[in-house]
Amino acid sequence: MVDILQTPFLWVIVTIGLYGIAYWGYGKWIDRNVWRANAKQTTPAHMYMDGVEYFPVSRYVLWGYQFKSVAALGPILGPFIGVTFGWLPALIWIIAGNFFIGWLQDYGSMMLSVRKEGRSFGPITYEFTGARGRTNLLAFVLFYLIIISAAFIALIATFWNSFKGTTFVPTIGILLAGLLCGQLLYRVKMNVFAVTAIGLGLVGVSLYLGPILPVVLPFGGWNVAVWAGVCVLILYLAAVLPTPTFIQPTNYLAFYPAYAAIILILVGALATPFTLGSSPPVPIQLDMGPFLTDPQGILGPIWPILFVAIACGAISGWHSLVSSSSSAKQLDVETDALPVGGGAMLSEGLLALGSLIAYMVLTKAFVFGVAGDPLNQPHTNIASWPVGAALLVSRILGVSATNVLLTTFFGLVLVIYALTVQALVTRFFRLVAAETWSEGRFRVFGNKHVATVVGLGVPWMFAVSGSWWALWLYFGGANQLLAGLAIMLISIHLARVRAPTKFSLIPGIFMVGTTLAALLWQVWTFLYSVWLYIQGDKSWVLRNVRGPIQTDATFILIAVVINAVFVAVGVVLFAVGLSMAIRLFRSYRTSRAGARATPAAADGGTPEK
Amino acid sequence: MADAKEPPESKNRGRKVKDAAKGVLYGMAAHGHVTAALRTRMYLEHLFMFITLGDMLGVPVIPPYYSLRILPYAVPNIKSWKQRVFRERDFTDQVF
Repeated sequence: MVDILQTPFLWVIVTIGLYGIAYWGYGKWIDRNVWRANAKQTTPAHMYMDGVEYFPVSRYVLWGYQFKSVAALGPILGPFIGVTFGWLPALIWIIAGNFFIGWLQDYGSMMLSVRKEGRSFGPITYEFTGARGRTNLLAFVLFYLIIISAAFIALIATFWNSFKGTTFVPTIGILLAGLLCGQLLYRVKMNVFAVTAIGLGLVGVSLYLGPILPVVLPFGGWNVAVWAGVCVLILYLAAVLPTPTFIQPTNYLAFYPAYAAIILILVGALATPFTLGSSPPVPIQLDMGPFLTDPQGILGPIWPILFVAIACGAISGWHSLVSSSSSAKQLDVETDALPVGGGAMLSEGLLALGSLIAYMVLTKAFVFGVAGDPLNQPHTNIASWPVGAALLVSRILGVSATNVLLTTFFGLVLVIYALTVQALVTRFFRLVAAETWSEGRFRVFGNKHVATVVGLGVPWMFAVSGSWWALWLYFGGANQLLAGLAIMLISIHLARVRAPTKFSLIPGIFMVGTTLAALLWQVWTFLYSVWLYIQGDKSWVLRNVRGPIQTDATFILIAVVINAVFVAVGVVLFAVGLSMAIRLFRSYRTSRAGARATPAAADGGTPEK
Repeated sequence: MADAKEPPESKNRGRKVKDAAKGVLYGMAAHGHVTAALRTRMYLEHLFMFITLGDMLGVPVIPPYYSLRILPYAVPNIKSWKQRVFRERDFTDQVF
């Protein structure tokens, strides 16, 4: 019994139990009493059915689609930064964030779009905040996409540079297998099952070749920059080639190993008390915390940093775009919104939990290094997730935790999660750029190739110069701020139809306040670093950058410039986000006042007595 | 008699679970790609309809002789075509 208490098993059960209450208790209550989902109400999928964008889809299919669209690298790497403050606060945020805010946002965004005739967030923002509000959203999304791209390119390059170079050949194998499958599927018209079998066979072969043919670059400190360049080239092709040629078949093939990994980790985490091996079977080794400030002295205070570090898995703004984009147009009945939107988000919380457990079972020395040890200096070990995941899974598969194929597999999963999502993000940036600069003086930026080069070149510069944790926190800040803004849109709608708003308004205020504070903190950190440099202390400026810029004294001025650029990025994100938040709060106030002055709307709100 | 013909409840439940599992797998692996392919076809069809029958929506194309020849085949799609073309579109629709 003592052994079980020392394993993550108990926490898995507690989290599943609380998520169950979130879904069947709080979720059903909100569904019935706030949104009043009505199975007989015609949804946009039926009202505007065209067989292309609007058509009803089974809740199971839509759940699978929604989960696949929202679950990616966020719930894996967010907890990695979160455990800096101890695993307990990270776990509490994954549980409480999802319980009170995360699922509510995904579900609310979907319901909002359904009630607004399947419209996505752009037109809804226009309706609630006017033309300037929509332009504001457009500007925010452009910056947000640049920051996501920078964080993901930095991570992909770091992954290829880590794991002894074993993940590059399997990645290229998947990309080539994807290209081949695209041709077989669309040109040769081969059966989809045969194509899948061939593709997965090739993926298996390339995974096997990974440890046999490791690729280690000879450029020393510039390795990550070169890897990031390779990544940018691949993403460029993904963005400009027709989707059926490259992105579509590659993402399809990548799905199988990526989701096999999720299932394996969750089963491994659940099986910890029962798996064979030493006693306790797989114990929790990492510090529980809570640490109110980052013990390494890099990230800052637990509030607001933890709440932006762990985005997906607790709450993520990206999900609101997904929920209101495709899923809402294909919802069969209103009552499906809870299992599809809310259910997918709570399931993603379980993925975040599985990832957190993969870190919990590792030692502090492995994850963070040891102060004063020249062989294991304090750092954040990017190999933690594959090693922790392999440790959890090895017991149920009956293989060694250090099995090179297993660690290569989980390393590859990290790369393909980042690469497949980033390919879609780059393409989305190109489309947003075309929308923004399609006409006028800057129309050259709307060009397909120019937009893609800008959308990859700027993030590449950030990726090779700044620390990945700095980029991740900016990404988290922007992502969570988008979530806060989405919840405010939901609150405005609820206010307009005289439905209770406090269940979304309080989380909305919390998220907007927290993320703006996190962005301010980040800006302050970079500003303080530059100020210290002026005072003669170079250490802060150098810790915020990476690679040869960090280690080569001749690049010190570049390091200062990078810090200054990060100040500017943070200020712009903060200013655009604040402006958007003010517009939304004003709109909410007006909506409340307007709703009080008019009779209850027919589709919601308190019935007239 | 009618009851005797219906499959037992456990079999029904088994089929439901199987259908749900198939649905989830299809949703995760292929649904997004299928809708993306449908959208690509939609844009190509829009182009074709604009070139041949654009005058219906006020696009100044002179209806060629062949427009009349293809009209019977295009008629079933005209309503949904107009609906899709006139629908409000936004950059946030392009996420997935």
